[in-house]
Amino acid sequence: MTRAVLFVAALVVIAALAWALRRKSQYIAALQAQLEGAARELQSLQEACARLAPAGVVQRLVADRTDPGAERKVVTALFSDLVGYTAMSERLEPTVLARIMNGYFQRMSDAIHEHRGHVSTFVGDGVLAYFGALQHNPWQCDDAVRAALAMRAALRDYNKELADEGLPPLGVGIGIHRGPGLAGLVGSRERMEYAFVGRTVNLAARVQALTRVHQVDILVTEAVREHLDPRFVLTLMPPEQVKGIDEPVVTYAVRE
Amino acid sequence: MAAHALEQVPWESCLLTPTPDDAMESYARAKMGMPLPMIRYFVPVPWLSHAMVDLHPEYGLLMSLELELNDLIQLVVSQENSCRFCYAAVRGMLRIQGMSEERIRSIEGSLTRADLSPREEAALSFARALTRSTPAAASAAKQALLATGVSVSEMKEIAFATAVINFTNRAATTPAIPPYTMEQMPRKLHVRLLRPLIARMLRKTRSRGQATPLDGALSYPYAGLVESFAGSPIAPALAKALAEMWASPVLTRRCKLLMFAVIARGLGCEACANEAARSLVKEDFSEDALANVLTHLDAPELDPVERLLVPFARETIWYEPAPLQRRARALRDQLTPTQFLEAIGVVSLANGLCRLGAIVADHP
Repeated sequence: MTRAVLFVAALVVIAALAWALRRKSQYIAALQAQLEGAARELQSLQEACARLAPAGVVQRLVADRTDPGAERKVVTALFSDLVGYTAMSERLEPTVLARIMNGYFQRMSDAIHEHRGHVSTFVGDGVLAYFGALQHNPWQCDDAVRAALAMRAALRDYNKELADEGLPPLGVGIGIHRGPGLAGLVGSRERMEYAFVGRTVNLAARVQALTRVHQVDILVTEAVREHLDPRFVLTLMPPEQVKGIDEPVVTYAVRE
Repeated sequence: MAAHALEQVPWESCLLTPTPDDAMESYARAKMGMPLPMIRYFVPVPWLSHAMVDLHPEYGLLMSLELELNDLIQLVVSQENSCRFCYAAVRGMLRIQGMSEERIRSIEGSLTRADLSPREEAALSFARALTRSTPAAASAAKQALLATGVSVSEMKEIAFATAVINFTNRAATTPAIPPYTMEQMPRKLHVRLLRPLIARMLRKTRSRGQATPLDGALSYPYAGLVESFAGSPIAPALAKALAEMWASPVLTRRCKLLMFAVIARGLGCEACANEAARSLVKEDFSEDALANVLTHLDAPELDPVERLLVPFARETIWYEPAPLQRRARALRDQLTPTQFLEAIGVVSLANGLCRLGAIVADHP
């Protein structure tokens, strides 16, 4: 009788231990799955971040937790802005406007990315993109102008879609300039972005504004033209004074 | 065992048809003691499939660099290049050799927190820098590596190992060699059961290199790169790969040189760009035409095949796998199958060698 009780007790203990062991191994497996999920998310995050900053910067920031500092670079900046956005925003419902703008930003970003540029930021209805900021790119001017032409074509297609819905067409002005500056992480402790700081960006924005003056959609500066494939068809525009620059700025309209 | 991080990277369907070839597979088996699964995709261009086998550093090419560190270089470079095929293969090999999943993951995640020696950490940082940035930008990582006490010859072996895996990564990624079998391999029951046996087999076939003289004068482009490894078994292996590549009749030497020149320019490797320019002059390609090609990736002097391959070469310097594979698919439709395959081989090798060239140019 005692032996039977002991046997049953032993069985109960073994069963309890087996159950505890099973629970523990399930817990470990769940933790391992979480860990692997986190590793995959981290990898995806690093890949996503690599589109916003050079891979080396992302690696040092995410994995090594060090700020790699700023770097002097020659970059081609592309600044684009919607024509007539303010008037359109007053006429359309916010939900419709948001949908139109999202479609517009997506198409512009795709055209820039396809030509090896990276969108740095959306400024209101404008897009600021860089070529040669993330990776060494000796063909950055050709890439930027090809991206601008792709943006023009994408907008033409998008306008057909908008017209089918009875919505007004969008117009865009694009300014492109090439020059030196400082590339690196800029911002506060809470919010940082990989940015390019210097006169180059300001001039690209000023040149974009000149598209209204010259009634064209794509303008490049002399610094861009010097490095541009001669097969691009350009038209010289009259020099114009712009804010913050002493000398009148010579620009060229890109035809095709 | 769950999926690893790179399995999420988009990957197109394969652009090549495998061609089983007993002779080539025996060649790989004799040298490596096991089959090389990707080799059957490259059989139609013999120099390329031979180079895949002959340039593998761990089979008798490394005299100073430890094979274990070479494995880690392959891991971090494949991760950097998002090459799912090579990454899965290297990861699988590390697991078979007994490295824990946690250890692999810590190396992938952060070198500074992976419990590596300063020398190992500097070597892996150098390999990463050479892969992700221009050789000029990688020179700081090279100095840091040398500062840990690594000899110049060992540094050159690290650069060579990095160059070879950059070559292999592009050869596997550009035509989208299917990674799925490799990714599943460590999870297979029979692999897990036979792990000690396979590990033993691997240890037996991997070997250290012995000093090897470089015979004869070399007269083809980039021979200087080979000569900078004189005395090491790397030199004859590299010499064979380069000699066979230049001699291959599928694409013209001029076309191959143009691809090398574009990649050298994209990487900012002056030594390699000058070498390509000198060799192109010997091919009666004018300096003006070359200037045009290097500035705008086109020139009236280019023939139709060159006009396709010059801009394509540029796509392989920095890339994301899926967009590169889509561009390669568009290219494939305009070339013969062997032209397409040889073009992949040339751009892949050029990417490896131009990264290597800039580093060893300062250390002849």
